[in-house]
Amino acid sequence: MKAVLRRTLTMLLLLMVSSFAVFAAIRLSGGDVTAARLPASASAEDRALFRQQVGLDKPIINQYFTYLGKLATGDLGNSLTNNARLSTLATEKIRNSLILGGSSMVVIFALGIPLGMIAAMRRNSWLDTGITSVSVAGMAIPNFWLALISIYVFSTLLGWLPSAGQGGIRYLILPTLVLSAEGIALTVRMTRSAMLENLGQDFVRTLRAAGVSERRIHLKHVLRSSLMPLISLAGLRVGQIAGYALVVETIFGWAGVGQALVNAVLRRDYPVVQLFSLLLVALVTLGNLMATVGYTLANPRLRKYS
Amino acid sequence: MTLLRRARRNKQLVAGTILAAMVIVLGIVGPWIFGAYDKQNLLAGHKPLGTPGNFFGTDALGRDLAARATYGIRISLFVAISVTALAVVLGMGIGLVAGYVKGRVDSAISLVVDFVWGFPLILVAVLAAASIGSGLLPVILAVGLVNTVAIARVVRGEVLGLSEKDFVVAAHAGGYSTSHILFRHIIPNVMPVAFVLSSYYVAVAIIAEASLSFVGLGAQPPTPSLGQMVSDGRNFLRLNHWESTIPGILIFAMVLSVSLIGDGLRDLLDPRLRTAVERASAK
Repeated sequence: MKAVLRRTLTMLLLLMVSSFAVFAAIRLSGGDVTAARLPASASAEDRALFRQQVGLDKPIINQYFTYLGKLATGDLGNSLTNNARLSTLATEKIRNSLILGGSSMVVIFALGIPLGMIAAMRRNSWLDTGITSVSVAGMAIPNFWLALISIYVFSTLLGWLPSAGQGGIRYLILPTLVLSAEGIALTVRMTRSAMLENLGQDFVRTLRAAGVSERRIHLKHVLRSSLMPLISLAGLRVGQIAGYALVVETIFGWAGVGQALVNAVLRRDYPVVQLFSLLLVALVTLGNLMATVGYTLANPRLRKYS
Repeated sequence: MTLLRRARRNKQLVAGTILAAMVIVLGIVGPWIFGAYDKQNLLAGHKPLGTPGNFFGTDALGRDLAARATYGIRISLFVAISVTALAVVLGMGIGLVAGYVKGRVDSAISLVVDFVWGFPLILVAVLAAASIGSGLLPVILAVGLVNTVAIARVVRGEVLGLSEKDFVVAAHAGGYSTSHILFRHIIPNVMPVAFVLSSYYVAVAIIAEASLSFVGLGAQPPTPSLGQMVSDGRNFLRLNHWESTIPGILIFAMVLSVSLIGDGLRDLLDPRLRTAVERASAK
């Protein structure tokens, strides 16, 4: 418990440092922030005036403390490109990203675990070879390419699903599958190898000697001891999804945090980059924390290392 | 059975090595066969598969697709190998120090490692590109940093576990020097993990470089990067899908070969896992 508390405090400290790192990193490149907001014909004085208005003419460290002060009062600031209030903008983007990320998490485990179980229970059969091969391939396909192919096949050629945008559940299918592909493949492999490892344990031999049916051994005893470490690591998938969301949301025109972040970087919209980077970092750090805590709970032997 | 003979019987390792060799040979001889990657022919524009002189067709600027794709292999391999070499050396060093010295040094290193670990790789790369401009350098720095930290984490854990094993405690008690213990007892036992991890991180590096170039933050034109080629071709899928398909298949083949090699190495070098699997299948 004390270790969890200590890690939580460390996490908050790390978030503070991250906020400054992001803040400074995006200001290092003297790219022109005025280009996105002011017309191309704007004079040098106009541009300087704009910088002054949004406080970009001050030293980075001063800007950072002004930013922190505003954050403390709950003011997230405004976008530099369209002056939209970030609190309003963020709510919508976060909701969209949670829908996509959440459904990917569900799909990863709902497909990955049963497939991995089947492969382990029928090991060395054609079914096992098939599932294992597809999962090896699934981990090797770059997801932007998978996205492109699936758009080409399912919307351009077949016309079954929309290629981009928001709407009903039909809009969610392709991005979810692409975003979860690697996670499914990884979960299949982890489930399979965890079950195979547990099948070699002494307790299985004892159960067999006691006359417990093979089916019951697999589904009750082996599965339970295999799933604990697997599910405890679910937090790590959060990081994976958060990272790839940047690419997948951009391709599918999914108006979430990832797409907004990539666009903001390209337009040098500092407040948006700051807010959304920090959101992602907070989410991933939380996921890592959950994974560490969960894994330690599932494997008491590891406690001394945490 | 000797290691070499076991390696030859390991299907994944053999398949992965053959596939990797094929891609590498293609990367070496391709640009030499297909000619310059940046020779434009604006009047010709897109050409389909099977065009005489440009067998795999050309892109919107009339540049030979095969020449660009095979040159792109070189870029991918350059990034992947340089990044992984950097990450393995630094990650091993940092992990060894943290795991062996323990105490405050370990706490300090772990703090920094946890800090970097909170950033998804793609986000680090995007921020790096935002701060020093797009190109291959920010990609190399970002992937190198994240992979170093990833390797350091695992090596630290392994070393922590090893340093409490009886043979290491006995070596301490026997008065052997720190360097003797590190080089004779710790490092040889960490190497298999480092090997397996490094092949996995070569795959991560290839995918990261391709993804970033696809979004436009990686290699800049006219340098042909596979990810960027996939992106260039996305608007012409109906016209000539090969512009996206060829680089896509090449990225897939590279990543697949490295993952197969990694899986093969794991079975070969990690006896614990192998015996567990064998015991299970020898039912």
